[in-house]
Amino acid sequence: MKYIFNFLTIFFFFSIVSCNKNINIYPVSNLYDATFYKNIDEIDVALTGCYNGLQKPLYEEWSMTELRSDNSIMGNPTSGSSDNKELSDLDMFMPNTYHEGIYNYWLHTYYNIYNVNKVLKSIEVNYKQSEGVLLYDSLLIPVSIEDRKRVAAEATFIRAYHYFNLVRLFGGVFLIHTPTSPTEAKLINRESTDEIYKLIIADLNNTINYGNSAKFNAINNNDLGRVNTWCAKALLAKVYLTLNRKSEAIILLNDIINNSTYSLQPTYKEVFSITNEMNSEILFAVRYKAGSLGLGSPFANMFAPNGSGLAVVNGDGQGYNYPSYELETSYLTTDPRFANNILVYITKHYVNKYISDMAIADDAENDWPVIRYADVLLMLAEAQGYNASSINLINQIRIRSGLTALTTSTINSVALFEKALSDERRLEFAFENQRWFDLVRFNTTFTTLTAEQVMKDHFTIMYPKHYGKYPAPALTLEQLKSFVTAEHLLLPIPQREIDINTKIVIPQNPGY
Amino acid sequence: MKNMKFLLLLVFIISGSAYAQKKVITGTILNKETGKPILGVNIMADKSKSGTSSNAKGEYSINLKSTSTLLIFSCIGYTTQTILIEDKSVIDVNMIPSYTDNTEVVVIGYGTQKRADVTGAISKYKNDKLDEAPVSRLDQALQGKIAGVQVNNTSSLAGDAPKVTVRGISSIYAGASPLVVVDGQPVADGLAYINMADIESVEILKDAASAAIYGSRGASGVILLTTKSGKIDKPRYKFKYSVGFKTPYKKYDVMTYTEYMNNLFYEASLKSLDTSIAAPLESAIASNNERAGYIVEQTLLGGKGTNWQNLALQTGLAKNLQLSASGGKSGLKYFISGGYQKDQSMMIHSNYEKFNIRTKIDLDLSKKVKVVFNINPSYSKKESPSENFTNFVRYPSFMPAYHNELTAENVHQLSQWENIIPGDFAQPRHFSEIYYSGYMPDGSFWAPTGTSDPFNSSTNSPLSSILNSSIIANEYRAQSSAELTIKLMKGLDFKSLATNYVNMSNTLNWSNKNAFADGLVSKGIYINSSSVDLLSENTFNYTKNIKDHSINALLGFTTQKTNTNKDQTTGLNYPSDDIRTLNNATQIDKAGTFGSRIKVGLISYLGRVNYSYLNKYLLSASFRTDGSSYFGPGNKWGTFPSVSLGWIANKENFLKDIDWLSKLKFRTSYGVSGNNRILDFGFLDLLYPSNYSFGDGTGTNTPGQATSMTIRSNPDITWERTFQNNYGIEIALFKSKINLNVDFYKSKTDRLLLQQSAMAFTGVPLSWNNIGSLKNTGIELDLSTVNITTSNFKWTTSANISHSENVILELGEEAYLINQGERNEIYKNQVGSPLIQYYGFKTNGVWLSQAEIDAAKANGLSSTFNNAFVPGQLKIVDVDNNNIIDNNDRTNIGSPYPDFTWGITNTCNYKSVDLSFTFQGVQGGSLINGDPNYDETKKLVKVYNTNRWISPMNPGDGYTPNYNKSAFNWMLTDYVVEDASYYSLRELNLGYTLPASTVESLNLTSVRIYLSAQNLYFKSAKNYRGINPEGRMTSGVYGSSLIGGYQRGSFPIPKTILFGIDLNF
Repeated sequence: MKYIFNFLTIFFFFSIVSCNKNINIYPVSNLYDATFYKNIDEIDVALTGCYNGLQKPLYEEWSMTELRSDNSIMGNPTSGSSDNKELSDLDMFMPNTYHEGIYNYWLHTYYNIYNVNKVLKSIEVNYKQSEGVLLYDSLLIPVSIEDRKRVAAEATFIRAYHYFNLVRLFGGVFLIHTPTSPTEAKLINRESTDEIYKLIIADLNNTINYGNSAKFNAINNNDLGRVNTWCAKALLAKVYLTLNRKSEAIILLNDIINNSTYSLQPTYKEVFSITNEMNSEILFAVRYKAGSLGLGSPFANMFAPNGSGLAVVNGDGQGYNYPSYELETSYLTTDPRFANNILVYITKHYVNKYISDMAIADDAENDWPVIRYADVLLMLAEAQGYNASSINLINQIRIRSGLTALTTSTINSVALFEKALSDERRLEFAFENQRWFDLVRFNTTFTTLTAEQVMKDHFTIMYPKHYGKYPAPALTLEQLKSFVTAEHLLLPIPQREIDINTKIVIPQNPGY
Repeated sequence: MKNMKFLLLLVFIISGSAYAQKKVITGTILNKETGKPILGVNIMADKSKSGTSSNAKGEYSINLKSTSTLLIFSCIGYTTQTILIEDKSVIDVNMIPSYTDNTEVVVIGYGTQKRADVTGAISKYKNDKLDEAPVSRLDQALQGKIAGVQVNNTSSLAGDAPKVTVRGISSIYAGASPLVVVDGQPVADGLAYINMADIESVEILKDAASAAIYGSRGASGVILLTTKSGKIDKPRYKFKYSVGFKTPYKKYDVMTYTEYMNNLFYEASLKSLDTSIAAPLESAIASNNERAGYIVEQTLLGGKGTNWQNLALQTGLAKNLQLSASGGKSGLKYFISGGYQKDQSMMIHSNYEKFNIRTKIDLDLSKKVKVVFNINPSYSKKESPSENFTNFVRYPSFMPAYHNELTAENVHQLSQWENIIPGDFAQPRHFSEIYYSGYMPDGSFWAPTGTSDPFNSSTNSPLSSILNSSIIANEYRAQSSAELTIKLMKGLDFKSLATNYVNMSNTLNWSNKNAFADGLVSKGIYINSSSVDLLSENTFNYTKNIKDHSINALLGFTTQKTNTNKDQTTGLNYPSDDIRTLNNATQIDKAGTFGSRIKVGLISYLGRVNYSYLNKYLLSASFRTDGSSYFGPGNKWGTFPSVSLGWIANKENFLKDIDWLSKLKFRTSYGVSGNNRILDFGFLDLLYPSNYSFGDGTGTNTPGQATSMTIRSNPDITWERTFQNNYGIEIALFKSKINLNVDFYKSKTDRLLLQQSAMAFTGVPLSWNNIGSLKNTGIELDLSTVNITTSNFKWTTSANISHSENVILELGEEAYLINQGERNEIYKNQVGSPLIQYYGFKTNGVWLSQAEIDAAKANGLSSTFNNAFVPGQLKIVDVDNNNIIDNNDRTNIGSPYPDFTWGITNTCNYKSVDLSFTFQGVQGGSLINGDPNYDETKKLVKVYNTNRWISPMNPGDGYTPNYNKSAFNWMLTDYVVEDASYYSLRELNLGYTLPASTVESLNLTSVRIYLSAQNLYFKSAKNYRGINPEGRMTSGVYGSSLIGGYQRGSFPIPKTILFGIDLNF
């Protein structure tokens, strides 16, 4: 009996000792959020993560902007690949609501918004929607107010940048300004575009108020690439322009021109050179870094011609974002921007802007410019409208590229001015994802030019060369043009968002 | 240490030593019914620890002590006999066949039980000829053999796991596969590594009451694998070898480009005769690139296209070699085996090889202490192809695999390809940007103004990719265990089991320079992982019989710990394709370099009581409580009780005298089991590296962290629980010549652990949740009969059929969940319906003409889709009758669950010849065939083009749409939902046992040669258009249990024929 007793003792001893240690296990190879975001070093690391999050949406953004505009087309009408089909749908204004590219863009943008919200929540910088202001609420962790303002200034710019893209592509989207649980999310519906813009303006003003205001020539080398007050002012100017609040835009743009020391590069080519990154013309760029760090740019391979072997890039190209014939012919052949932006492989014309020598595929160095000083100049021209000063601003851009200056005698009407400004922006910012937003904005800032007309003209010109070649039964030009409606200037909300919410009804954009 | 030496000593002295002999008895053992000698009857004497067994002639000879008074003759399949020795020196025995062995023992969780006493739903499958099945894995061999166990060969690549489900779906998360326990140790990949020849028996715990003893892991059923042990006998050797080959049962019928273009031009000629439409423009017949492809095929390939499908396929080769030795003496039994298995798939570069060694030793250290050692190291090597079979099927036939004189000359037109010589791999880009012209099938001359790209693709041909890359995984596994049993007092045993399962693998995923596209550097992805699973299990077992009461009680404590380390490094740019080690890489790719360290722990307390009264009234109750590291604080512990009852009615007085009734037993059970298999740390939000470069120059890489892109945690998640009732009846008639088992079950799973679709604007597509409940009901029928027994001929049949159905009872506060697959096809999980329903559009044939469309529009029909009204394209049904075709017209258009699954095996013996064959089938359920929604396959596979719509006057069958890229395509419609039913002659085994006289002259005990075949006949449903109704996508989103039933470009069904020989000596 004693024998048994001994066994039992040992048995239960082992059971109790090994007990809780064995099942109270926490991750060893990953950080986790319950214990992170607790001091400024960790919050800075999380903020860096938000910068990285800018890269993912760009992967699709060109197809929502350049491809849908008159700048580019799908390279290969007869390919049966699924990517091609989905991209052609965007190109031809007929995306379905299940479109995978649209969904991915949406998901990746909101993913980064979530990360930004996590950072802002960790330092208790909260958006008060009723008043449209950001509040610096009381904070339990030991982070100084200076650090909070510095971090928040960068984070709110990133959030505003994302929402500005979303509101222009989808209209009134879901306004998420704090980390939201999946359960809470089921009760949130779309907001009006006004509410979205209210947050964007509050966020950008926060950056302007608390961000790094050093002039370009005084920015600490380590801070190059980070958000500062100048890029926030430029983005806010664009927001105001989009809202047709031109006078507010003018104040901001003049401030940048007069006080920031940002300036045009001597040549167009130098703006994009990988040995001249974050130059005086780049107010903000999404940065890529080669060297198999997982931070390289995929665009060299995406935009290089399909089937070019290694003639253009290592690893061949995917043939996306082919320049449209009409864009090419609007460049003077002597315009250095032409050669910088578009090259030809045998008979295939392709976007050269983001191609640099690279050792391995999908790992190019080229940054993606978001706001350039040239944009500041041309936005000012757009805000001021037709006058001599505006023509001069356009001429600064033209002269850099060795073109003849415009004069008030050649540009003698609002219509000609608007055409000239539109064309200049198109040539200058080709393949920088500006054209689509420009066209839509012109609907409010211009009086003689509409996005719908530009797109219908584009289809008319390109139909015999391109759209008419789609396999039988090809769409007729009339059918194609009929897809260009005011409603289709917005993309559909991903069908999945509407389908999975069984609590509330989420309205789809009209026309889908 | 002392014990170790003792053990070693014992191992060395086992071989044939002689000891004191007092008496020798000989005799012959015959089958009483057939009069044939019986091989392998065990003969034991009392008071003596030695034993022997009979040879092929039924003869035996046993040495025993003079004090022995009786001999015990036992053999599986016969009633055991005990005969007094008295002063006989020759004892001949006639053994009586027994069709159910009343002494049969069934392995249950943490113990064994007599078959007669079992009160739960447990199926046992003995390894009779399991190891002769023409398959490489145990789970494949079980297909169609056991009611309620569904085995689905979703892939046919070498070494790939089939999908195994027990009693339908009781859990929604991907971890809904049964728990596999090998000799007491739960081993996640037990079915993958176990050597079939080492298996003694497979037991499947189907109902919750039987599985509840495995608590948190029992909800999806438990498969218990028991390996062979030695018996007290002289050394017995076994040698088994088989070799065979595999060929595809059916391939895709793909058009060559010549056939494709001929068809287009033929259709154009029909169209031009149709006065209701305008004659097609020349440019609308075929695109320039298609015409160029035709020219390439006609002029450079001599009109004969390349059959890419055949380039991917080969005759597969399977080899299996097994050797074993077993035996035992007083206090020591051993079983030692070694095996080599090679399985070469029909797909090129898909190979699987496995080496196994198993040693099992049973030692009686004293009368009170017993030890069992088991060690099973294995090595396997799996080579996987770097390209899918699908990529070959859809490759256009005008592309040659290698350049010939003509094609090389053709591509020399471009300076970039001037170095190409005949014999080089042909790539699509070589043929691009070249001016092509020539005669079209209608005799017209085609001369375009510019160059054409016959096949616009930047990637290399699948053949050159597959041959320039290799994915080889080496796995080293060792399962070992030591079990110590101490008899504490009469009836009370203490057992302590310690097991250790180590699984180390290293994989090199290698690609040569330029393997997939020009300019790609060579790349090696090295994946090293190691997993160590330690289990300690301590149980007390108490058995007591008091008069008519017999009691068996179990009390135990177990703890299990698993550490998994995984490291992946990607090296780039090697000096040569022949040197593939990391030290030669020029660069490390950060994007392909990861590491993880995961620990998982489980602590459990368990107990069980089995009680029987008068051997008629049976009761069993069990209890288990589990603590798991998968869940957060406060949610770690779960409790899983069960109770079951049995009544052996035929032992009652009022039935005892009915002599045709051999058995009548009723069983009922109720139990709770759980599921904890979610991803690690579902209760925490993990962060992942997310770096960025700041600063001047090209920037400095700066560390960043960001949240998961795939799933949001839920701190409150906890156990999923399944409550199950089981009702069973067992009937045996006519001396057990007919045996029937029927089980009916009903289960409810609540707190479903699932990855719920989250609104994407929260930043992730999925989140963990514990919501809802699911009901399963089913019925299983097992019938085995002995049809004929004569002296020369015996015929037995065993058949099983099962039906199960599930319905979602609730989903928290949701009415349904929506999930999307690769083509945005939607799977809906709706309350009140089966777990998965395909959610899409109903169609009613195709629009026959523009006139029909115009008429419909005139009646007010409109659509929000740009492409809903195209002649020759699918006509969507306005389900909600509001005259608008839009997303509200989606409805349920099918479900993957079969009505029933069945299998029937017949076994015949005639003299020395034996034949067995298994038919297996699945009836009902549907699948989504992705091929008719996928451009290349839709365009080129004949079955999707036959009888298609051409023009209003040539409408085809009115249901098959014309190929059109911009039409209502890719939306899920019932046009691609097909019947998934099939039946097949799954296995056939024909053997011949050599006559005893021949065998003896060769100094052998027995010799059997056999032929074994798989899938000699396979019949799929009439409306199924693919080639393999069993094929399913299972990776990526298809890993979720909320998404299922999708296939695309499935691999052919293998038809396998093996020849084998089985020697015993």
